[in-house]
Amino acid sequence: MIQRIAALVSIGLHPNSGAARHCRNDSLAMTIGLNLIKSLTQLAPPPLQGEGWGGDGVKASQHDEPIPLLTSPLKGEEQYALQVLHAGDAQNLALADYLALGAPQIEVIETERDIVENLAENLKNTDLILTGSRAEGGQASGLLPYVLAQKLNFPLVANALTIKLVGDKAEILQFLPKGKRRLVSVQLPAVIVVHPLADVDLHYAFAQKIAGKIVALPALKPANTEKIATQTRLINRKPIKLKAPEHKSGHERLLAAISSENKGGAVVNEGNSVEKAQVILDYLREHRLVDF
Amino acid sequence: MRINPRRPQQTSPAGLKRIVLAAPGQVAAHDQAKPVRSIKNANKNLLVVAHSNKGVLDDHARQTIAAAAILADDATEVVTIILGELNESIMDTGADKVIILADLNAEQFQPDVALACITALIASMKPTCIFMPDNVVDGDLGRRLIAKTSKSAATQVVEIDTSHIATQSGAGLLIQNTLPEIILLAKDTVDTHLPFTGEAQLIAPKIASFDASAHYKDLGMQSIAATEIALDEADFIVSAGNGVQQIATFETLAHALQASIGASRVAVDDGKFARDKQIGATGKTVAASTYIAIGISGAVQHLQGIKDCRHVIAINKDASAAMIKRADLSVIGDAEEIMQALLMLIHQAKNVQEAA
Repeated sequence: MIQRIAALVSIGLHPNSGAARHCRNDSLAMTIGLNLIKSLTQLAPPPLQGEGWGGDGVKASQHDEPIPLLTSPLKGEEQYALQVLHAGDAQNLALADYLALGAPQIEVIETERDIVENLAENLKNTDLILTGSRAEGGQASGLLPYVLAQKLNFPLVANALTIKLVGDKAEILQFLPKGKRRLVSVQLPAVIVVHPLADVDLHYAFAQKIAGKIVALPALKPANTEKIATQTRLINRKPIKLKAPEHKSGHERLLAAISSENKGGAVVNEGNSVEKAQVILDYLREHRLVDF
Repeated sequence: MRINPRRPQQTSPAGLKRIVLAAPGQVAAHDQAKPVRSIKNANKNLLVVAHSNKGVLDDHARQTIAAAAILADDATEVVTIILGELNESIMDTGADKVIILADLNAEQFQPDVALACITALIASMKPTCIFMPDNVVDGDLGRRLIAKTSKSAATQVVEIDTSHIATQSGAGLLIQNTLPEIILLAKDTVDTHLPFTGEAQLIAPKIASFDASAHYKDLGMQSIAATEIALDEADFIVSAGNGVQQIATFETLAHALQASIGASRVAVDDGKFARDKQIGATGKTVAASTYIAIGISGAVQHLQGIKDCRHVIAINKDASAAMIKRADLSVIGDAEEIMQALLMLIHQAKNVQEAA
């Protein structure tokens, strides 16, 4: 039986202004996690969703009854909550966006280094870890879930569109290019990376933002104190395409410039319409574009 | 006597220019087949790993092989591992050696088997650098590889050079770094036009078979109706323009071919199709492997929307239309008649297939 679900969130950047905000990919993963929790507990929507905005702002802000946490599951009572985890600065205002999007509480590991080790330490008893596909700031390499899965020795499934929990397995509809989808089952505990095209509605509610809490967690002691020497350099220009160096004589360059490239394929002008259609069908078959 | 200053010249094997008194047509140096890239005493290699799709490599995979071929020096071979079957020659991409692992195609979900095979091949070949295209399928495998090995790596590399790579930061700046050991290349980072070819010599892989772990189970591909696939994702598109009068025939044909429906701006403006079917500059940009343009003359804006399509087939009345220059196969004739004939042939073929 699945016990704990966690979603990892990061700080995103607005594409134009560069202002810090929630990262959409991570919000999708978090919302999928919240929906899974909802289906697990068979509960009505979270208490604040219905009453939030309209009249009772005071009540919302005074909402201080303990929120059931997966880190301390209540025995007897079958209640779950999604563990929303962030590694970074707990004071970052952008984190409140995730509260507004439905996270009751965000746990922040206040560290800038050894992020994978810190996350792994916190997540080693988690059954399902959800992440977005790529961060918007920093390196945005999309490597974190893979390194984390390797560290925890969990299986990983990427490009998830929908997630269904079936016993101790998760069934995932996977995104593939060219309009294909694949159904995959993975043994829990697992790391699942949510695809940006996942069909999830994000609901932003100010009342939830006010009601939610951000809790700082202690970080592990940094393992290696010396700074890793990196030779990175920041440049403000467009990337240059790699081209093969060509040593052409002037004559060859001239010929290349004046001779128009022979573009265009075969043109079929003769025959009746059936013969012409046959040419098309032959072409499709030759390139294996149809299967009949 | 006046001497023509632009009289043709030839480049001798020694690289010297020689002026010859030959007819211009005989001196077509650029028509000569490209030479095979010369490798002396190969003792290093660069590895490229990519999935094939329907037996061919897509542009992104070709760009990745080209990157390795450009960066390779005299003593370095470019070894390409193709996951999935390959039915075309990839000499023009610059690959020197090709290993085909047909069982590990992208259709089946077996990340642990693919990873074990690649790791075994890397261990036996010890490449200086591993290149992979950073797309949905290979990006996943590449990141698994990076997480498993302790090699230095970079993903979404947008600029590559003999000495450095660069990735894009969230703020739009380039982050330059030294060359890592595993490079996941972003799309359109490399010009695939090479002055040389590779030998593309097939070699049989010497690896043991690996069992899939019990963690993952592939429950099969889900079939989505062609009409439900978003146009920008679709693999097979039949598109109608002003030359299509009978929309019913056109839709039947699209259904028979299991293709998504697209349209040119004129057809959409006429109210024959919904606005979200429009392909072109104001509509959608598509990257289908098959695009059948019926009765579309091919305005620049429309051609811009289909520039990433692999096989373009045009059916048009006008043999001088711009679409004919773009298409890989053009059929000149009345759209309605050819559509009807094509429908008939498809039904025949399907009946034969069912009977067999």
